[in-house]
Amino acid sequence: MEPIIRTEHLTYDYIVRDDENAVENVRRAVNDVSLNIKAGDFVAILGRNGSGKSTFAKQLNALLYPTGGTVWVCGRDTADEESLWEVRSSAGMVFQNPDNQIIAQMVEDDIGFGPENLGVPTAEIWQRVEQALHAVGMEAYAQSSPMRLSGGQKQRVAIAGILAMQPKCLILDEPTAMLDPEGRREVLKAVHELNKAAHITVLLITHYMEETVDADRIVVMQSGSVRMDGSPREIFARSDELHEMGLALPQAAELAGRLRQEGLKLPADILTAEELVEALASLKQAEAMAQKPMQTASEAAPKAPEHLSELTLSHVTYEYEPGTPMETVGLDDVTLTIRQGEFLGIIGRTGSGKSTLIQHLNGLLRPTRGEVLWNGENIFGEKFDRRALRGKVGLVFQYPEHQLFEETVIKDVSFGPKNQGLTENEILNRALHAMEAVGLSQDYADRSPFDLSGGEKRRAALAGVLAMQPEILILDEPTAGLDPIGRERLLETLLKLKAEGIGIVLVSHSMDDVAENADRIVVMRGGKKEMDGSPREIFRRERELKEIGLAIPAVTHIVRMLEERGYAVNGDALSMEEAVQTILNVWSD
Amino acid sequence: MFRDLTLGQYYPVDSVIHRLDARTKLLMTLIHLISLFVARDFLAFGFSAVVLALWIILSKVPFGYIARGIKPILFLLGISIFFNIFWTKGEVIWALGPISVTKEGLIQAAWMVTRLVLLIFGTSLLTYTTSPTQLTAGLEQGLYFLRYIKVPVHEIAMMMTIALRFLPILTQETNKIIMAQKARGADFESGNIVKRAKALVPILVPLFVSAFRRASDLAMAMEARCYHGGDNRTRMKPLKFTRADYLAFSLAVLYFVIVILI
Repeated sequence: MEPIIRTEHLTYDYIVRDDENAVENVRRAVNDVSLNIKAGDFVAILGRNGSGKSTFAKQLNALLYPTGGTVWVCGRDTADEESLWEVRSSAGMVFQNPDNQIIAQMVEDDIGFGPENLGVPTAEIWQRVEQALHAVGMEAYAQSSPMRLSGGQKQRVAIAGILAMQPKCLILDEPTAMLDPEGRREVLKAVHELNKAAHITVLLITHYMEETVDADRIVVMQSGSVRMDGSPREIFARSDELHEMGLALPQAAELAGRLRQEGLKLPADILTAEELVEALASLKQAEAMAQKPMQTASEAAPKAPEHLSELTLSHVTYEYEPGTPMETVGLDDVTLTIRQGEFLGIIGRTGSGKSTLIQHLNGLLRPTRGEVLWNGENIFGEKFDRRALRGKVGLVFQYPEHQLFEETVIKDVSFGPKNQGLTENEILNRALHAMEAVGLSQDYADRSPFDLSGGEKRRAALAGVLAMQPEILILDEPTAGLDPIGRERLLETLLKLKAEGIGIVLVSHSMDDVAENADRIVVMRGGKKEMDGSPREIFRRERELKEIGLAIPAVTHIVRMLEERGYAVNGDALSMEEAVQTILNVWSD
Repeated sequence: MFRDLTLGQYYPVDSVIHRLDARTKLLMTLIHLISLFVARDFLAFGFSAVVLALWIILSKVPFGYIARGIKPILFLLGISIFFNIFWTKGEVIWALGPISVTKEGLIQAAWMVTRLVLLIFGTSLLTYTTSPTQLTAGLEQGLYFLRYIKVPVHEIAMMMTIALRFLPILTQETNKIIMAQKARGADFESGNIVKRAKALVPILVPLFVSAFRRASDLAMAMEARCYHGGDNRTRMKPLKFTRADYLAFSLAVLYFVIVILI
């Protein structure tokens, strides 16, 4: 059978021209890629940021044309101008940011946009819109404004907008990067259903390894070339190569790999939690050992600096637009103390009040009722200097790189200290120190922040807050949209800062990140503080968490499954290391 | 906070007026506006007010909502009343030192107020009964003939659509950026004008960068969905004149003739 997409020696160069239109710089984004995609397949494309995945995808939709080589979509050469609309409608493309691809003010109007462009007759447009809405389960929202939808819903609308053009192939360029875990599940479910029920070929570009486990095939790209190509089992068995490329494995596969390294004879192609548990069970037909689970040693208190600042919310309630019909409660009677030197994780679903909560911590929002106290002093007291407080309680918003504005990195990082009214010398010192802390060398100082890569921009923005030398640093989803290695680096930076005595508050959707790093976790639900305790205490309440719509860390899930089968592992293991330890304790003797 | 911010102010109920074609309503509003400038005495204004009131009742939009439209121009209204009353020459009714009120002044002011209020009420009725999307479509299809004299009607309508869609998003974004810069100790409240203007740079630069990024994303998404301008495009919701439209339009013309005759 003719492949639905075929590329032969596909090459693409980004050409940078100077003012006189002379070629200044050529960057090869896609390098000699020859691939055949079979109709009906679900293909995942993995690779680090800048590996050429997106550029490759844009070739398939004729948004970019090859510099060298050829691309055929459904048998048509994409470089042939006459087949442009056929190529674009048969290989539809969904992009990362759900907001930036919805054109109309009403969901159904937006879905009709594609067919309208294709000149489809009115009656048929309505049919197609209906079918597309049904296919992604959004019928109930046909008349809604996109502003009222969640991220996952918006992304499903975007997919429906492509479906209405009746494509044979769906290309999704990191469709879940900006979504919360629930939105991610929604979108993936919809895509898998389209693949199975409607036999639409799917090309999914993603950073989330878990999303690729169910794919028929994985293509791994590096520096514009295809590095690996095979089934998920084949790909994830080559863990060393993946690690070396800066990619992560699904948690179960990672754990299996570590255990193999420690000498357990596990098969090399384990992908899911279930498979790992089965493999471990068959490895040890013997009964569970009577031995008590080992207490892990990681619960030693961090050593404390002499004077500890303390930030307290006392019965804080916050209402949005009080006194209007649109009044909504953002926070509901929250009492919470945050201490310098601790690492606090805040988890909860979208809309549970996390963002509202952190904006109270530095006085950006004023409680409708209740008080915010900094070292016992009410921050909304008459004499209290809230601007000075913002230097002590640093707040890093989601996608902080969107707030960069200066010509050079050093100037941008200096913005905070400058507002604090420090001397030139002190400002420069602090800025350089902050850049060093986030791993940006002095070479970056005079570069434009807008020329940096995504991960570097994020770090520069973080430095901008660190330069104010906060005692408590609050971060809202700091790892969103980063690739695995970027994520890891950022978390390492946070742990380093904590070791220097800074209090860290991490708001995150990633249970793994919070479980591995936090000393204490607060769970938010419907504006209320639902739970507050050590990670161990929190993740022991698995059922309650599930009820709220939150998960437990992937490795914890695995050890709990083992525990249920009667093995004497420590069901409280939260990090990869702890899981490896406790399994080895039982399995190797 | 700004989730529901839109240009205009659609009041979503089902009424005869809501169901009228946007082009009809645009044309009727135009007739209404012209009639206000043609009207020469209070009888004509009175007639106009009664007719407008009937339309409003038919539209099922609460009168309070329509009246709300006056709020933003209250200041303007106050100033024009003030100038008209005190600065019009004529028969003096009341005087105190250099200040005097004339009969002509009072009439002029009343004239002015009636005209402005009727104008606002009429246009509010249009925006309350026509969604921005319908309005854009109405303008595009109603003015399509202008294409023959090289006016890019479709492009303008598309720009309006996109502006309507992205205005609330950019408003949200502005709020977020303000918060983020405040968190870095930025001060927007104190200092003189120069200082305050300078304080806007950390807001405006990221806002522009973001707007351009969104624009380029959107352009790509539109291309991916085969957008290629207005030619050979079909419509999901084509506007169609119904009998109600012809009736409404005839009534409007009749009204206009009467206003002229009065």
